[in-house]
Amino acid sequence: MMIPFGHALSFAAALFVLGLTCVLLRRQVIMILIGVEIMLNAASLVFVSASAYWQQVDGQVFVILLMAITAAEVAVALAMVVYLWRRKRTLVADEFNGMSG
Amino acid sequence: MNAFANLPQFPWMSLLIMMPLCGALLCLLHGKRTNDCRGLALATALATFGVALYLFVCHGQGNERWLLYEDVNWIPAYGIRYVLAMDGIALLMVLLTAFMQISAVLLAWRVERHVGSFFALLLLLESGLMGIFLAYDLVLFYLFWEVALIPMFFLISVWGGEQRRRAALKFFLYTLVGSLCMLVAIIALYQINGAQTGAYTFVIGDLLKTQLTAAQEGWLFAGFLAAFVVKSPLVPFHTWLTDALTEAPAAGSLDLTGLLLKTGIYGLIRVAFPLFPNATADFLPILGILALAGLFHAAWSAYHQDDIKRLLAYSSISHLGLVVLGLAAWQLTAWEGSILLMVTHGITTGALFVLVALIRERTGTRSMQELGGLWGQAPCLAALFLLFSLASLGLPGLANFAGEILVLLGTFQEHPVWAVVALLGVVFAAAYMLRLVQGVIWGPAKAERTLPDLTMREWLMLLPMAILVVWLGLYPAPFLAPLHGAVATLLAGGLP
Amino acid sequence: MSESLLFLIPLLPLCCAVINMLFGMRLPRLFAEIMAVTGVAGAFLLTILFWGYAEGEGTRVVIFTWLNSGAVDVSFAMNFDRLAAPMTLMVTGVATLIHLYAVGYMHEEEDYARFFGLLNLFVFAMLAIILADNLLVLFLGWEGVGLCSYGLIGFWYRKLENAKAGTKAFLVTRVGDVFLAIALLWLFAATGTLNISEINAQAASISPGVVIALSLLLLLGACGKSAQLPLMTWLADAMAGPTPVSALIHAATMVTAGVYLLCRLFPLVSLSAVGMTAITAIGALTALYAATCAMAQREIKRVLAYSTMSQVGYMFMAVGAGTVTGAMFHLLTHAFFKAVLFMAAGCVIHLAGDENDIYKMGGMARRGPVELFWVFLAGAVCLAGLPLTGGFFSKDGILLALFTHPDPAYRVFWLIGVLTALLTAFYTFRLVYLVFAGEWRGTGHPHAIPLQMRWPLWPLALLGLVGGMLNLPALVGGDEMLHHWYGDLAGRAVTASHSTEWMLIGFAVAIVALGWFAAHWRYRNYRPPVENRVSRFLLNGWQADALVDRLLVRPFTVMARFCSSGCDRSLFDGTLEGLAKMATRYSALLVQLATGRATTYLSAFAWGFLVLLGWFLLKLVNGGGH
Repeated sequence: MMIPFGHALSFAAALFVLGLTCVLLRRQVIMILIGVEIMLNAASLVFVSASAYWQQVDGQVFVILLMAITAAEVAVALAMVVYLWRRKRTLVADEFNGMSG
Repeated sequence: MNAFANLPQFPWMSLLIMMPLCGALLCLLHGKRTNDCRGLALATALATFGVALYLFVCHGQGNERWLLYEDVNWIPAYGIRYVLAMDGIALLMVLLTAFMQISAVLLAWRVERHVGSFFALLLLLESGLMGIFLAYDLVLFYLFWEVALIPMFFLISVWGGEQRRRAALKFFLYTLVGSLCMLVAIIALYQINGAQTGAYTFVIGDLLKTQLTAAQEGWLFAGFLAAFVVKSPLVPFHTWLTDALTEAPAAGSLDLTGLLLKTGIYGLIRVAFPLFPNATADFLPILGILALAGLFHAAWSAYHQDDIKRLLAYSSISHLGLVVLGLAAWQLTAWEGSILLMVTHGITTGALFVLVALIRERTGTRSMQELGGLWGQAPCLAALFLLFSLASLGLPGLANFAGEILVLLGTFQEHPVWAVVALLGVVFAAAYMLRLVQGVIWGPAKAERTLPDLTMREWLMLLPMAILVVWLGLYPAPFLAPLHGAVATLLAGGLP
Repeated sequence: MSESLLFLIPLLPLCCAVINMLFGMRLPRLFAEIMAVTGVAGAFLLTILFWGYAEGEGTRVVIFTWLNSGAVDVSFAMNFDRLAAPMTLMVTGVATLIHLYAVGYMHEEEDYARFFGLLNLFVFAMLAIILADNLLVLFLGWEGVGLCSYGLIGFWYRKLENAKAGTKAFLVTRVGDVFLAIALLWLFAATGTLNISEINAQAASISPGVVIALSLLLLLGACGKSAQLPLMTWLADAMAGPTPVSALIHAATMVTAGVYLLCRLFPLVSLSAVGMTAITAIGALTALYAATCAMAQREIKRVLAYSTMSQVGYMFMAVGAGTVTGAMFHLLTHAFFKAVLFMAAGCVIHLAGDENDIYKMGGMARRGPVELFWVFLAGAVCLAGLPLTGGFFSKDGILLALFTHPDPAYRVFWLIGVLTALLTAFYTFRLVYLVFAGEWRGTGHPHAIPLQMRWPLWPLALLGLVGGMLNLPALVGGDEMLHHWYGDLAGRAVTASHSTEWMLIGFAVAIVALGWFAAHWRYRNYRPPVENRVSRFLLNGWQADALVDRLLVRPFTVMARFCSSGCDRSLFDGTLEGLAKMATRYSALLVQLATGRATTYLSAFAWGFLVLLGWFLLKLVNGGGH
């Protein structure tokens, strides 16, 4: 293997943490979704590097699956974002607290 | 099970439970046709009473331990069976239930809103009560216990007085907490018995043979007690009753005081005492003290009341304190007196609640400050009010005295001090009852009213109760006869 | 006549009572009245008819089983024996005359069915007490007379004071009934039976301490119904009822029920010297107390009420002295002359235009029918104890029994009895002078007196005057009929030397003369009443009502408020409310976590994930280390 497995894993971990940070610290709904994307990409990276390390193709197959799922999830999420915008003319996540109490 | 071998095969007891249930369903379905609903409810109540009367006359005059028994396999995987058993005590309770329900239906004749639902709930309540008195399997007992609770909640919270929501919620939560403790105890007992004998069963007769350590017995007994002590009600767990009785609609109050309260005491007799004899023996002195405390506390509180319905609620608690005292004496005469007193209390206090409802309908008030001089305005009503008040305070020759004197005679043999103290409570009963009578029917009339005297429907409700009050006072022997066998066995140890 | 028909004696008044109460208003008035009188008159005739059954050991009739449970086996049964028979005769006879009187007295009353029904029911209850074979039937009659008294005192219920007087009577007598009930329970525990004859037979085998306790309890029970100290506050207020009620219940019958109870259970009660002394003491003190109060009363019926209390005290003294004959003799003569006094007082009140105050009367001798004065005087001289009247012989018999009692302490009671006799003569003639002598001082308009109110007075007056014949002492050549009739039920035989008896008689005559003289000197010519602290104290019955109010009624009411508001509302409900509030507050705290914001929930996920990760790492490290 060209790149040591440890390097790929640490990179994926750093990416995951960056994605998590983005999810937790951003106020805009779209930015939260981008954070989720980054986390998903980090997971994909782990799968790919593991597949390269153990010379099994299953990881890469799962990455293809993951991409499809991600695409579907983004479609649904962006449709909801459009709906949210129409409801309140804002995309700040904290504004939507109708389920409080 | 040999004791149950020679009993009649026809499922009379299931009939007693199912008839009101069917009546309830039909009332619910035909809720829009009010006249039909009323007629149906009355017919069901009368039919149930007919069955109960038949059982009383034909099967109830002997001295046997058990009168009827039914046993069907229900949920074999958990050992739950559909077992109903009737002995003398249950027979009297069933008869009382059937009788009072007729009056309840007649009392509810003039309900305006949601007539079908009202009668359906009333009949469902009757079915639940019958089940409680007849069930011999603990899960079945618990099921009917809850079935009797729910209609009462709805009756109070939908058709009740001004504070109905609060009263209904208090009633429901209080009794439910007790019931849940009982459920835990039931399951624990089931597990312990199953681990010991290998046969997992909920039938009371089989559970009597369980060997329990002292600690286990104490905790399980406490669990059952939690439910029964709240339902009885024993001071200091009685505050739900005053609110519930005051806010309930007339028919609801009748059922609550006449029947639902008796289920607590019946539970003690049928379930708690036989299953846990050692814990019972330890607990009896405390029970006696609590009963006496309830007797006095309720009598004193009754004296202070201005609302006549609340006064009668406290008088109920006071009388049932005397009933529990008789049980705590653990003596044959006292027990028979207690059970007779339960029956007669149901009739006298029930009749008084009927009269209070009639007075409320006519004058629009329940406060003694605004009532008075009713004798001049509605003599028959006032005369019956006086009769039932005198019966309630224990005048010899009328109903309550027979039970009370038996309780006192029996209690004196075991605990003379208790009997003497209870007698003082009798003076208190005279004090608040005479205050009630004076506030309602004597004195000058506080407002110029022309009141109609009793109508035919009201006579139909009250006349049988009046006749019974005099009958039970002078000749209670046919009602005491079924008790001998049952009570003697229960006092000796309870098998089977 | 078959002996099993004996139960008709109490049944007749009961049936007439029930019919009158249920249907009386629908029947013609005359019919209802005739039914009422017939009920009692029939019982009277039946008693005479069945008199023979009372001789010897008496006759016992069982009607049906009342209670049968375990060791308790009680039936409705009656025992017509030598003690019961004269009492039954007196009660039914006097009741018949009073019913006739009542027909006239209440002829303007609209609610007659209730009145006559209650009056007949009362006679039934009294007969139940007299004829009871066991203590439970006696208790039924006991409470029954209390109930009828309550209903009849408060008969004119539209005035609240009448209803309150009735309630007071019921409650005070109920306190006495509690003691009787305790004695009943204890007797059942001690002897295993409630049958009176069996209890009397077993009395000697009960331990002495228990016997003392039982006699004291029975005494207190009797005090309630007989209005003796300390349960006497109800009798004076009971005069709020119609006069026939006062005559029947509070002169002749109900107040004597206590004496009858003690005579019935005499074999038990007489076993304890402490008990007997207590009975005599209570009787003596009450007699004195009531006589002093009677001296200051202004209403005619209240004077007679206190006088009744005093005379019943004499009967208690007789029982305590050991002579049942003495007590019953005085009971019978007192019934006659007190009934006639009350009925004549009713006529007087009618004549004075419904005025009760004797200071506003006067000159009644001329205002009313001439016989009224003579009848009233007859009763008065019997009450005062003028020689040769019935009252004289009976009272003298009691004083003799007290004087000749083996225990010298009884001389004190004798002295009190003599003093009371002096006061009795005084207040009796005070009454006669203030009502009948002098000029008419009132302002009311007289009502006519119907015939039925007048002629029942004569038989009773005559009976009072010649009643001494019932038990004429051997000293004056009599044959002591009553004493011999009672035989072994009569208690102690009173014997004294002739000189002692003549001395005591002379003493009694002197006392009566002294009392009459004092009353004559003070009241023959009218003087306005004296209003000072002493007279007010006596007028209010030595402030007994106020005492009871402060000691019992007020603490009771305070306790009632405490239980209801203090305990129930504040403590029990308060605890529940507190629990509910705690639950609500806890829930409010938790609710703060549910902000409804997605970001909060995401943070929660992250933190939870961190915790789980940390836990797994820890496990890995520890697991790897081992």
